[in-house]
Amino acid sequence: MMEAYINGISYYLPEKELTNKELSDMYPEWSVDKISQKTGIYSRHIADKEEFVSDMAIAALNKLISEFEIDKQTIDYLILCTQSPDFSLPTTACIIQDKVGLPKTCGALDINLGCSGYIYGLGLAKGLILTEQAKNVVFITSETYSKLLHPKDKSNRTIFGDGASATLITSNPNPKYFAASIKKFKYGTDGSGFDKLIVKNSGQNFEDALNEDVYDEEGNFVSNDDFLYMNGREIFNFTAFEVPKLVEDTLNENALTMSDISRVIFHQANAYMLDFIRKRCNIDKDIFFVSMDDVGNTVSSTIPIAFRRLIDENKLKKGNKILLSGFGVGLSMGGVVLETA
Amino acid sequence: MMNEETFINNVKQQYMDPEDVSFEMASEFRQVDSYDSLTGMTIMVMIKDEYGVDISEEQYRSKKTIQELYDFVASIK
Repeated sequence: MMEAYINGISYYLPEKELTNKELSDMYPEWSVDKISQKTGIYSRHIADKEEFVSDMAIAALNKLISEFEIDKQTIDYLILCTQSPDFSLPTTACIIQDKVGLPKTCGALDINLGCSGYIYGLGLAKGLILTEQAKNVVFITSETYSKLLHPKDKSNRTIFGDGASATLITSNPNPKYFAASIKKFKYGTDGSGFDKLIVKNSGQNFEDALNEDVYDEEGNFVSNDDFLYMNGREIFNFTAFEVPKLVEDTLNENALTMSDISRVIFHQANAYMLDFIRKRCNIDKDIFFVSMDDVGNTVSSTIPIAFRRLIDENKLKKGNKILLSGFGVGLSMGGVVLETA
Repeated sequence: MMNEETFINNVKQQYMDPEDVSFEMASEFRQVDSYDSLTGMTIMVMIKDEYGVDISEEQYRSKKTIQELYDFVASIK
């Protein structure tokens, strides 16, 4: 039976780092260290002013091609997941196809998802492979949330980092490199939470939007509709109640229980929330992989970056089952099980 | 009748350092060094989990002591 395999993950982080010390200097009244201890984020990478999603995507893709000895001419489909594209029109993936020199017979499209994006992209890639529409799909996640943040939004500036990843999904893995077959998925959507993580003025629908700064009683910045707004409490609530159900559904879909799982990688939003969700899902600390202290929340890149770092530890064995789950903006979520080949 | 000691303990467990936290019903639960908005979020989730009560951000913000939180939850339950 044909399978779709992840057969390479590379990632790119912009050169400029924003450390907690710099944040502390920018916002002296903001207890950066206290927050960092809780969120588990000490530093994050920020794209240059002239560095865009396509640039980071190209860098990640070129790394993938070089690290995994991929013949560019064999790539027949490119999916880009981003919410801060170079242009909303045309498709940023088309720009990447051209600049990297992928064949003109390659398909290319953008998908607009955030924290759940990696799961959805893997699902689409698997579909393309199994329906024989493509043999070698490159799935890129690339995000510059930093460009969407208000200068006074200290809490989101502490949490989010920029970065990109590129993953090869193929029907014919190169045995020289790590491979994992992509098993079954579960998805979830709750659009009633669409405005819990939003840039109100980012599209055509902005009639009721304000573009003035809104502050709370303590003088903390709350929102400005030209910039990203996140209702932390609602997102937290959503993940607290929905993710455990999704995890159980994903395991059931794969006819597995948590005891069959060797490693779990969730979307790396912040360490405190991750540990909270881990306990609610009854996942042992030993198998729960977290790696985000130097990159922050890179949105759809958190899972592939963590996964690549897990692979680099060289502890995964054939037959190991890995559970991935992404959840957040939309509100959207997804889960999948992989099996090490 | 909701057990007060259990309620206090349920709130305490949401802090990063529950062993170092000592509460009574009159305690102002925000006046703990490790308390922040994330602690608040987990307390609100706990209230839904353990007592089946939805507490809005506004309602939560208006409660200063554990007694006030307890009274609110008891009134809805």
